[in-house]
Amino acid sequence: MNGPKNMNAHERARLAAEQAAARKRDQRILIAVVAAFVLLVVAAGIGLQAWRTNRSPSVAPSSSVSASPVTITNGQPIVLGSAEAPTTITLYEDFHCPHCADFEEEFGPVITQAQESGSARVELYPMAFIDEGSAAAANAMACAAEAGFGQAFYLGLFANHTLQWSDAQLIDLAAKVSGASPSEAFKTCVTGTAHADWVSSINAAADKNGVAQTPTMLINGKSVDIATLTPDALKAMITNASQR
Amino acid sequence: MSASATTEPRLAAAARWVSTGARLVLGGVFLVAGGLKAIDPQSSVAAVRAFKLLPNSLVTIVGWALPFAEIALGLLMLAGIATRVVAAATAMLLIIFILGVVSAAARGLSIDCGCFGGGGEVAPGQTAYGIELVRDLGLLLLALWLVWQPRSRLALDGFASARIGASQ
Repeated sequence: MNGPKNMNAHERARLAAEQAAARKRDQRILIAVVAAFVLLVVAAGIGLQAWRTNRSPSVAPSSSVSASPVTITNGQPIVLGSAEAPTTITLYEDFHCPHCADFEEEFGPVITQAQESGSARVELYPMAFIDEGSAAAANAMACAAEAGFGQAFYLGLFANHTLQWSDAQLIDLAAKVSGASPSEAFKTCVTGTAHADWVSSINAAADKNGVAQTPTMLINGKSVDIATLTPDALKAMITNASQR
Repeated sequence: MSASATTEPRLAAAARWVSTGARLVLGGVFLVAGGLKAIDPQSSVAAVRAFKLLPNSLVTIVGWALPFAEIALGLLMLAGIATRVVAAATAMLLIIFILGVVSAAARGLSIDCGCFGGGGEVAPGQTAYGIELVRDLGLLLLALWLVWQPRSRLALDGFASARIGASQ
């Protein structure tokens, strides 16, 4: 032992015990500091996400697709674009489905372009199975289509897909994409979920049509494999379908 | 307290480098996984909801919190602060993930674990539970190694008092 010669066994034991206690105390402080750090980061993260999902929507990409009002019929999709368009693109999407937002980011511009050029129209089945926000957004989508700004609202919903879609956010989005203060009719349509039955009927229709996942896309009734699709391939598909 | 570097057994030196690798891999994976999920809170919540294990009232908060817990643990792990404590927390989180995936597979759910963002329902037959489990088990092994051998190179633990954090 290299301790002082005059240190007896008793003192050595006491010293060791003190050191062990100090070690334990340090360990406890360290655990507390680490836990505090993790909790702080988590709390800041929750605050950040709460802000991100509750803030007001930003403006959506503009689109010149025809803005004539649409009639909402139970079990029937919302039609966006010219009724004379030779190609029909059928879309089953949930406004809160992450893969739908990815799909829209990648292929939305191609589809919008086809709608604008009059070569395709979109039959939209806005399904609602992810959360309350999905249903609220699907209902508001029907309200917007009825009011004649369905296309712009559709693009706005996906451009702001991280929002939770409270009534206030949906009405705010309508004001931003339509460039005017939304009518009272639109507001009550959103706050009173006027198309709740239609939203359920769309879910039922999707089920009946054998749609098991979103996004699902059909071109002139033929299912398209989205996993291997590229924007150029989609463009070619729409052109081919339109020439038949 | 510790033996000097010259007399340190080679095996212990090698273990420290293994621990360094384990720390960097675990920390990197957690940081990336947390970051990818934190980008899209809606996806993260949807991924948690898809497991159908938590009541709706908890889904949102867990979906928001989990990515940041991963980021915090990843940063501590990369820095090598309180390695044993952080590794134990990481191992616990991984065990929860593994149980989640096992239970999803056992209940026949068709979901993507959303481990690196995305997540939610996928078509039946597009699930990848096997790969997800092997990856999580591999990460769990690394975490358990670090609980056993927390001392490593390139770690802030080494600068702190030698007694704490990585002490035996």
